[in-house]
Amino acid sequence: MSNIDQKLLRHKVENINTLPTVPTVLKRLSAIIEKPRITMVEISNFISNDPALTSKVLKMVNSAIYGFPGRISSVSHATMLLGLNVIKGLLLGVSVFELMQKTMNGLYEHSLACAVVSRTIAQKKGLKDPEEVSVAGLLHDIGKVVLMLEFQKEYEAAMKEAQTKRISIFEAEQNQFGATHAHVGSWLAEKWRFPRNLIEVMEFHHRPALAKNAPLETAIVHLADILVRARGCGFAGENLVPAVHPAAFELIALAEADIKDVLKEMENNMEAAEDLS
Amino acid sequence: MPQPDYPAMKTVVVICKDIVLTNAIDRSLKGSCQSVVFSNMPSALDYIYNSIPNLIVINILKDDPFSINILNDFKNDPMFHQIPVLAILPEHFNLSHWDSLMIEDYIWKQDFEKDFILRANLCMMRSERIVEINPLTRLPGNISINRELQERIVRNENFAFGYADLDSFKPFNDRYGFGRGDEVIKITGRLILNIVKSKQPQGSFVGHVGGDDFVFIIDAGLSEEAAAEIIKAFDSIIPTFYDAGDFAQGFIKSFDRKGKASTFPVMSISIGIVETRARLFSHYGEIVQLAAEMKKFAKQFQGSCFKSDRRIGEEIKEQSRKKK
Repeated sequence: MSNIDQKLLRHKVENINTLPTVPTVLKRLSAIIEKPRITMVEISNFISNDPALTSKVLKMVNSAIYGFPGRISSVSHATMLLGLNVIKGLLLGVSVFELMQKTMNGLYEHSLACAVVSRTIAQKKGLKDPEEVSVAGLLHDIGKVVLMLEFQKEYEAAMKEAQTKRISIFEAEQNQFGATHAHVGSWLAEKWRFPRNLIEVMEFHHRPALAKNAPLETAIVHLADILVRARGCGFAGENLVPAVHPAAFELIALAEADIKDVLKEMENNMEAAEDLS
Repeated sequence: MPQPDYPAMKTVVVICKDIVLTNAIDRSLKGSCQSVVFSNMPSALDYIYNSIPNLIVINILKDDPFSINILNDFKNDPMFHQIPVLAILPEHFNLSHWDSLMIEDYIWKQDFEKDFILRANLCMMRSERIVEINPLTRLPGNISINRELQERIVRNENFAFGYADLDSFKPFNDRYGFGRGDEVIKITGRLILNIVKSKQPQGSFVGHVGGDDFVFIIDAGLSEEAAAEIIKAFDSIIPTFYDAGDFAQGFIKSFDRKGKASTFPVMSISIGIVETRARLFSHYGEIVQLAAEMKKFAKQFQGSCFKSDRRIGEEIKEQSRKKK
């Protein structure tokens, strides 16, 4: 059973102001900031390839200062609303997590692949804004970053427990913390006034049947998460591939050919991402 | 339409009995400002009301609560609240509370030579910077818009002026409440501002006329690109502000201006554009009027669009061809 007080855990999570990124992103970041005539599209593409930057930008645009909290869940919208100067200012304040680099890099890759797969499925399903689903895929695991950041030792213990007992990291977190990365991520997203649908996907991507407002989006990210694990892309905390929730699979109703397309799209994108780093 | 009062030189009203100090003030302001001197506040009021100076400099005396009261009453009127007041304070002047002296800035009399002209200029600049900001969007309003236009006209600049407003905004406001309407106004202002500034970081301008009316000034060659981007951004972001069901059906049920129930499409944005190279303008009102006409024209088309004024440009080309 967990020996961490739940109130304290939540308090610690809600006090986080910014999430760290990985070193490769930070390296490319300085080139982006120094580029004299960068366009909003370029900078928004760059941001939407990183969970830390994306969450930072969404936090800012949904803050009370701008006066439309809980509305914006796409990076390109956020960039246009904040403007280049504010965006550059935000990027200047990005830090790197020095510890657990291997895990962090693996998680980064997993999140990126999940974003691509979520977007591709959303496009196949004709959703009105595939970018929003892509952002949800990118951010679905930020609870893990939060836990690693605040409770490094405990998180390493959870990963170890998952490995030795051959259980999912989700279960191991529940044992270790009394809460999972899905809770933790949604607490932070709530505190940062992210749109309700996005919070819901983060909270229920392991239990898609519980999603009320955004069942399809949640199911998509749920499936994307598992497809990416099955393909061995990145590292999400353990090496198990859980089963897809049957109801979620039915809700999405992808044909086999569609799934092949989706996986192909993921591989193309991941190659492109590797070229960049 | 009345000609705007844009004197080349700024006007400073000086309220001071001390002749030596008055001369020193005159000397300092000479060349950059025109100064008008009064010996006390009551005699200055009439002039101030009628000419709205850029700055009031007041020499505060130790034992003159009467003048200070008049100054405070004057500053309490929202019409004149904007005019900056710079006080020159005597040595050992005792001030318990800023509420009892409504001024923007002060200098000590003994520091006059060192500080006066810098402070006076700073005061005027600061008040220009903060002229009527729209509380919703924090964008400058009509006075600044007119000034920006007139200054460019006087400098004989080539520029484009865009006038934008939203279609079907009122029914949206009625359907979802003014809170959500305000959100739409805020994002519209941010989108226009950021797109215009990203196209042209220096020398462009975005203002908020009020309600759902916005304007922008940008280099002539960039206006259509900017308008096209604003439209694209607006159309992509606006679904976020509708309830999912309403957006899916593509319209909302609400009331028109006459109070009749009707259905309304998802909001769009219409932009009218005027360029100054097409013809000579002497007054900002002419540009605003022409842009408003173009916007009205754009509004006749369904969905978001922009329309540039080409009529005059073609006529001019036509004429020059004929001359050849």
